[in-house]
Amino acid sequence: MTKIEWTSSAIRDVKAEFGGVVNKSKLETAKSLANAHFQVEPNLKRIYLMQPINDQDPNDPIKLLEVVEGTIERGIEPVSFAADPARGMDYRLMIIEISPAEYESVRTVGKVRLGNHDWTIGEELLAR
Amino acid sequence: MPATDEEWARSYAIQALSDLDAREKLADANAKKCHRLHFLQMAAEKTCKAHLTWENGHDTVRKSHAYVARVFPIIARVFYPRINDNNQINQWELSAITRFAREIELLAPACDDGDLRRDNSEYPWEDARGDICTPCEYNFPNIDDGSRTIIRMIRLIRTAAESYSRPQLTTNH
Repeated sequence: MTKIEWTSSAIRDVKAEFGGVVNKSKLETAKSLANAHFQVEPNLKRIYLMQPINDQDPNDPIKLLEVVEGTIERGIEPVSFAADPARGMDYRLMIIEISPAEYESVRTVGKVRLGNHDWTIGEELLAR
Repeated sequence: MPATDEEWARSYAIQALSDLDAREKLADANAKKCHRLHFLQMAAEKTCKAHLTWENGHDTVRKSHAYVARVFPIIARVFYPRINDNNQINQWELSAITRFAREIELLAPACDDGDLRRDNSEYPWEDARGDICTPCEYNFPNIDDGSRTIIRMIRLIRTAAESYSRPQLTTNH
């Protein structure tokens, strides 16, 4: 018997087939967010997606590490945002804003600690 | 012995940090926008009162809610250089914060801009057409609480409130 891997894209395909609401995946949403943030924030230098991304758990937030020139240096300090489906934001969001100097210190470690979890610095999201 | 200005400032600041913590928990829990904004407004207001108490004394701080629009931009100008190698805050950042602070102040029911803005984060109000608006069903179109300005504002509130919560370390006096 073939085992079906229910990836987020597979679930969306099935939903679409049966007329359900089709949400963007977290990665797609993160890329859209990154693009929007680059458009409005002139001092934003880099955005990284923090991993792992748990696509199966809608309550698990998208976590973005944003490197902003001239930001207040306060270390790793996430700011949370609620989901806003009316504006195409189906997931909670957490933004960790750090300066380029702070980024240099976390880059070598490759991960940041939030609460009881270590999050790995993952894919860099670029302006489209 | 009556409480000192320093003790009052510290208390306002500690409460502001707790309000901000509540805002984070509400955002994490996908709570309604009115609740998220309410705690942001309270955190901003108490940080402003901590600043005014520290600078001018507790006697000058009244029970008014109308402090954020006027005082928060001052806090931004004061604290930004302190923690950014004496660099001044960019004018566009300050303008964005000033606009945002004004809208945050108007969230308090007592601040209605001369009865022009009845929308607030706590109590129902009647709009110009005579319809009743309920905060938890209202989307507060003048405030984008997913905007990047809110990140700046939250980080400034934390920075200032933490500073006033341990005022003996900020020896400007």
